[in-house]
Amino acid sequence: MNKFIRIDMTTKKVAVENVPEKYAGLGGRALTSNFVNDEVKPTCHALGKNNKLIFAPGLLSGTTAPNSGRISVGAKSPLTGTIKESNAGGSFSQKMGKMGIKAFVIEGMPADDKYYVIKIDVNGVTIDEAPAEILGGCGNYEAIEILSEKYGAKVGIALAGPAGEHRLPSANISFKDPEGNIRSAGRGGLGAVMGSKKVKAVVIDDTGAAAVPIADPEKFRAASKVFSKALLDHPVSGQGLAAYGTAVLVNILNEAGGLPANNFTTGRIDHNDNISGETLNATITERGGDGKVSHGCHAGCIMRCSQWYPDKQGKMITSGFEYETIWGLGADAGIEDLDVIAYIDREMDDIGVDSIETAVAVATAMEGGLLPWGDGEAVLEAVKEIRTATPLGRILGSGTAVVGKVCGLFRVPVVKDQGIPAYDPRPIKGIGLTYATSTMGADHTAGYCISGNILKVGGDIDPLKKDGQIEYSRAMQIGTAAVDSTGMCLFVYFGIADNPGGYQALIDMINAQYGIDLTATDVDKLGESVLKVERAFNKAAGFTNAHDRLPEFFEYEPCPPHNVVWDLTPEEIDEVYAFENEEALNS
Amino acid sequence: MEEENKKTIEVRGFLHLDAAFRKKNGSIPIIMELEEPITGVALAEKLEVSLDEIEVIFVNGFVEALDYLIHPGDRVAFLPPGCPGPYRIALGFYGKNQGNEANFKIKKKE
Repeated sequence: MNKFIRIDMTTKKVAVENVPEKYAGLGGRALTSNFVNDEVKPTCHALGKNNKLIFAPGLLSGTTAPNSGRISVGAKSPLTGTIKESNAGGSFSQKMGKMGIKAFVIEGMPADDKYYVIKIDVNGVTIDEAPAEILGGCGNYEAIEILSEKYGAKVGIALAGPAGEHRLPSANISFKDPEGNIRSAGRGGLGAVMGSKKVKAVVIDDTGAAAVPIADPEKFRAASKVFSKALLDHPVSGQGLAAYGTAVLVNILNEAGGLPANNFTTGRIDHNDNISGETLNATITERGGDGKVSHGCHAGCIMRCSQWYPDKQGKMITSGFEYETIWGLGADAGIEDLDVIAYIDREMDDIGVDSIETAVAVATAMEGGLLPWGDGEAVLEAVKEIRTATPLGRILGSGTAVVGKVCGLFRVPVVKDQGIPAYDPRPIKGIGLTYATSTMGADHTAGYCISGNILKVGGDIDPLKKDGQIEYSRAMQIGTAAVDSTGMCLFVYFGIADNPGGYQALIDMINAQYGIDLTATDVDKLGESVLKVERAFNKAAGFTNAHDRLPEFFEYEPCPPHNVVWDLTPEEIDEVYAFENEEALNS
Repeated sequence: MEEENKKTIEVRGFLHLDAAFRKKNGSIPIIMELEEPITGVALAEKLEVSLDEIEVIFVNGFVEALDYLIHPGDRVAFLPPGCPGPYRIALGFYGKNQGNEANFKIKKKE
């Protein structure tokens, strides 16, 4: 991948450059975060002309490596004010990889009020006025159909939905998947950044692109085989996720007393059977029709954790029906009907809002009296108002922190203004440390781990006790940043976390593609360096350790059934990033 | 132990054990009579659950090893291999599952 494309929406000029030397070895999150730290003014307004939006595939995207089709998007977040990397599946990343595009950047903003479609193909980049029919409330599903008809059935598409046009802090960037459904770079409001630059869509057509060059094809094939086996032999990636999706966690977290419910006032519900992964599986199987228990969100996905959830007549309601969405609406907001939750999920996808942020905001709005507890139909109608940007729609689409302020609440589950997802930090303290200190605001995906660190940090963890939690959170965040930078699907972690051979095979594939000689230590160091870059940006944007804290109510409201509070001190929390200071002292 | 005077336990199964328990017992949770404490292994045998289908058990909301002693009044759940990685660590599986040969294996592939 040797092309680095800059698209200036102020002048409508496009520059196709060679990849700057310093970015040559970077992909995914490592590239987006380094770029944002290098070029985005940390104190800029996220929706102003000085923010820049970068799209980058992973190091292995476009090759035949399994599960290498994630696309990373980076910018300063309008939700958190921090640096942000959000990633998604779909076919976009692989097309960029095949076309040799290391990244493209959208910068500036037009003086006029028109929306544009950026088209990237082997001949270059064009900027067209967006068709009127995809603007002003047109849903993402319909917009994908219209754009696919205009530009070709097989093109990749990234969209700012109606929420992005309204520049709401919960707006996501929606990506077309191989069947024309939607995958989302969900968190942090990057759809609002895209909308602020008046870019309605980016269309990518890889027709005529050659295969990705591999420096050592034989070594690549051998490593790819080992990597595939590591994924398919693991009970999580090879069996659990494919059958039950990520919603397998509903029953597990509920049993552990860590399933936040009724706006984080308890950690266990009684209606878990209604919304569990096991019920999801049984319902899809029983209804048949369009329903698919297992489905891959991009070509080359071998874990297939996604699914198509059908209605009672067998017609698909939504795809990619994830644990965090089901948790947020089903437990935190108390909606007991999985079908209604599915319709709300579809509406959120169609509008282009982050389904985690919106679900947490809905539960907070219920506590604030804006919506009745557990009323799915009322929530569906309220979420529809985001599309038309009514005052209620704008409040919900602005995220949990805004809803909390509008309603005058103290129980507002956010860190750095990003809604806390589906794992209560009081009975699962290690995850609480990650929420508190993540460079992205409260983020459950910041804490995955790679082989070698697990037994060292995880052997003696008691979820209710402090011991070992700092080391756990630190190792998890470094590991996540490292593997995010390869651009692999998050869930390959399950296969490589318990299998050192799987992790080495991932590194061997990168080495074989680029003809380099990375070691596991190099990749770990890459993870540390990404976190340091992200912390540096946040610090320059005005964030301090005082922002690395959970909301105060966790300190004095015990969470049933274990009835524990959050008791990590500020000094203990700050230990997670002690490695920054250690290196500074040694340098 | 949740309640001293109870002579029953509540049992759940997750992943494929959810459907298996429902098929066998009609609904979940299974309410079982229990006079004396029993290990997770012995309870699994009573319920005809093969040990290679269990990574850990939950007892009263805490992750425990298979040899943990279950008392009347307890709430128990059997968890097959398949819980995603970071949560296995955060919930404490790694201190409880290291002696368990069923860890990290797909039964059908063994």
